[in-house]
Amino acid sequence: MRLALKELRRRPGRFTVATIILTLIAILLMFLGGLLDGLIASSTGAIRAQAADAIVYSDTAQASFVRSRIEPDVRAEVEGVGGVTEVGGIGNVQLGARVPGNGPRDLASVALFGYELAPDGVPEPPPYGQAWADETIKASGVEEGMTIEVGPARTPIEIVGFVSDTNFNGQSSLWASPDTWRDALAANRPDAQLGPGVFQALVVRGDDSDLTTAIDEATGGATDSYTIDGAVAAIPGVTEQQNTFNQIIGVTVAIALVVIGLFFALLTVERTSLYGVLKAIGAKSSTIFGGLVVQAVVVTGIAAAIAGALVVVLDLVIPPGSIPLLVTPGRIIVSVVLLLAAAVLGCTFSLRRVLRIDPASAIGTTS
Amino acid sequence: MTATTVGTALEMSDVRKVYTMGDGSEVVALDHATLTLGHDEMVALVGPSGSGKTTLCSIAGGILSATQGRIVVGGEDISDHDAKELTKFRQNKVGFVFQSVNLVPFLTARENLLVVDELGRRIGAPARERADQLLEELGLADRAKNLPSQLSGGQRQRVAIGRALMNDPALVLFDEPTSALDTKLGEQVMELIQNEMKSRDIAAVVVTHDERITHYCDRSVHIVDGRLEA
Amino acid sequence: MFLAFKEMARAKVRFALLIASIALLVFLILFQQSLQNGLITGFIGAIREQNAPVLVYSVDGQRVLQGSVITPRMEAQVRAAPGVGDVGPIGQGTFTGQPSGGSDGDTFDTTLIGYELGPDGGGIGAPTNLVEGRLPTADDEAVVSDADVRLGFGIGETVTLLPGGKQIAVVGVAEDAQLNVAPTLFVSYETYLDAIRSVNPDAGTPLPNVLGVVPAAGSTPDEVVASINEQSLELDALTRDDAAAKTPGVAQVQQSFNIIFLLYGLVVPCVTGLFFLIVTFQKANSLTLLRAIGAPAGRLVSSLLIQVVFIIGVGLLVGALLYFPVSQQTLGGIPLRFETAAVVFWSVLLLSLGVLSSLFAARRVLRIDPIEATTGQGVGA
Repeated sequence: MRLALKELRRRPGRFTVATIILTLIAILLMFLGGLLDGLIASSTGAIRAQAADAIVYSDTAQASFVRSRIEPDVRAEVEGVGGVTEVGGIGNVQLGARVPGNGPRDLASVALFGYELAPDGVPEPPPYGQAWADETIKASGVEEGMTIEVGPARTPIEIVGFVSDTNFNGQSSLWASPDTWRDALAANRPDAQLGPGVFQALVVRGDDSDLTTAIDEATGGATDSYTIDGAVAAIPGVTEQQNTFNQIIGVTVAIALVVIGLFFALLTVERTSLYGVLKAIGAKSSTIFGGLVVQAVVVTGIAAAIAGALVVVLDLVIPPGSIPLLVTPGRIIVSVVLLLAAAVLGCTFSLRRVLRIDPASAIGTTS
Repeated sequence: MTATTVGTALEMSDVRKVYTMGDGSEVVALDHATLTLGHDEMVALVGPSGSGKTTLCSIAGGILSATQGRIVVGGEDISDHDAKELTKFRQNKVGFVFQSVNLVPFLTARENLLVVDELGRRIGAPARERADQLLEELGLADRAKNLPSQLSGGQRQRVAIGRALMNDPALVLFDEPTSALDTKLGEQVMELIQNEMKSRDIAAVVVTHDERITHYCDRSVHIVDGRLEA
Repeated sequence: MFLAFKEMARAKVRFALLIASIALLVFLILFQQSLQNGLITGFIGAIREQNAPVLVYSVDGQRVLQGSVITPRMEAQVRAAPGVGDVGPIGQGTFTGQPSGGSDGDTFDTTLIGYELGPDGGGIGAPTNLVEGRLPTADDEAVVSDADVRLGFGIGETVTLLPGGKQIAVVGVAEDAQLNVAPTLFVSYETYLDAIRSVNPDAGTPLPNVLGVVPAAGSTPDEVVASINEQSLELDALTRDDAAAKTPGVAQVQQSFNIIFLLYGLVVPCVTGLFFLIVTFQKANSLTLLRAIGAPAGRLVSSLLIQVVFIIGVGLLVGALLYFPVSQQTLGGIPLRFETAAVVFWSVLLLSLGVLSSLFAARRVLRIDPIEATTGQGVGA
């Protein structure tokens, strides 16, 4: 193995181009992964943040806030279900916000939530006319204490603090009391306004292991309940995005495997006579192959490290809001692990040739 | 410094090597070869190309298995060794000096000597001491840190000899050691080989087609068409 | 030619691996090209395929149909703007729809786009690219997008909106007319209003989301856009193409994919260039020998280029063959299409880049000195 490392140190030049190619592929993997993570996070933050065991929509809503409505009588039925400890209403409206200091046509996209039960990381509902804002809204110039005007009716909302990872549908979330939300909805979306006591969905905390089924049974099928994970998966586009991206990522890993296999197969051919000599003086095939794998792992590791650094820089350089990129250590680590696995597997293309190198080839022939 | 325990370094009895071709016909590369070497004997194996001298050398060195016959090197019977056992045998009992592609191009002279230890027994410090000692004895102490590309042909040959001696072998096989060198250099190398082998009591087989150097050896054995002539 | 192919036949594994890596890359590039186009078309196809040359949003709508609301005052301002010809209201809503042609009572997020039909269904906002059936001429009739047909929204089927049970009959199919990657129904404005009221009794009188504007004779769409925007800071007028391109999310999709294409596109010439450079080094001795016995340098270089073109050509072919069946699928509601233009574009680009990358190897070949055959140095070492 030390032989293999010495070659890497003494002759880095021959590995340079392969490292560049692997760096490009590694950047691709991390970028694709970061894109997926960013898309999912900004679509699902608000739901994932809910500190609850179930979310209840109306049965024809197809897990969409906009098309869901829960009347007070249905709510009462849900509250009466055995095992249910707390029920809170929730609703949202998506509007454009005018931020002081920005141009008249330069609006920030926000999703204004009215809530009763606080999600993780979000304090209790603030007084009327105030809201907590997801920190991503800072990219639009919003500061604590600032009052922004939402919607065509220019409903004023004062921002009293910031929360994180609570976005919905790619928009920055605002978290306000139910009254604030309901009035904003009526003023700005008269066609979607809801009567007093009516919410779009319910957030439920309970002890029952099969809460969602129990709730839907109790309401006689008038509701469609989901676990938090289920609600996240039901958000349109989430599952499809994950599947598509993962397939693309999978094929890209396969490409890395083939490229590494190719490069090291070529190197092995070039070193056939050297390997013959080594075998003649007593090197085992496993030692030689092991050296090959070590080189592949080191080269891939270096490529992954460079790619990781570049992707982090890319994340800082990209203006917020232009590309939904989320760079997390977890994703980078997963990408590195996948690449290293591809590196080891890619070497197997050279295994047969290494095994077949005959030590006798070291003796006798000239050219 | 240990020589072989029993008197002979190499005993080949009735060794045959037969290759079967794709069309079923057989090629006899070595036919009933019998050869014995004393523990400090140097033998020149002389013959034209295709005579089987390379085959004989390979079998003696445990690089090739014989079809038939008995081979004992330094007291170890390798006639029926499998590939793994032969590998171990080569690590411990035999040294090789090949005609070409002798040295690992990206290792220094010293590291080339140590590569045997790296690949085999890994005894560490004693190996390093031995390497330094050999380099000294071969007149390469000041070249220890040079890469092969920085050494002359004769110096490279000496490094290769040093490597062959690292594991204190019972037998060293030289494959055309002077073919790439001019007469003067060739004589220098053969003198060196003779000195080193004799002073350490190590047996050697020198495969060559060059009659000018056979006098450095104790005797010559001629081989033609796979058969040894006395 | 002979040399080129003989060598490849002799080293099948290596060349096969190279072809495999190129084929996979080509496949991924073409697949993502289809994905990008399908995504964007599914997203804003309806905007591109309706007949109003200019669309007016409220600024608050941020160029999303559903977010925009046009008050009567704003409508008056639009009508008063110089250069404005005809004006028609357009409404858009998302509903839960159950097509009668679907399986097992499947329901889908369904978009309704309501416009004033006019005498023959071709009023402002009507779909332009009808491929089957006819435009709606009465209330409760709809034209769907071609991608929706396989979900059960075909001609003759009925779509029931839930809750409320409002029913709409499908009478025509238009090409590439989806919005928000969901089944999209073009209906009369009255049908649209009725649909909203059927699912939300609390709704007041819904206002139109946007106005479709036809420029008066002698005015261009760009002029009309400028003229309307001057009327008020609350109005956001756009040409049809701009409205499609500037819908939030479209630019993001394009930028993301552009980065992806750039990276994948770079990998191909790098892999090809590296491969041929290494292989040239490895056969240095044979090349030197050939030069020594009289082969012209140009012949050796052309042999190399033949291999490059062959390898990339086969890689493109295999990649395109892998891509073809995938391009016929529908992925997460996005109907994919075999993008012939993309295949041609990438074929030309990758072939050119591949040939360029092999110039490094060609340079080495040209630098061979035949005298090396006798001294045994070769090009390598």
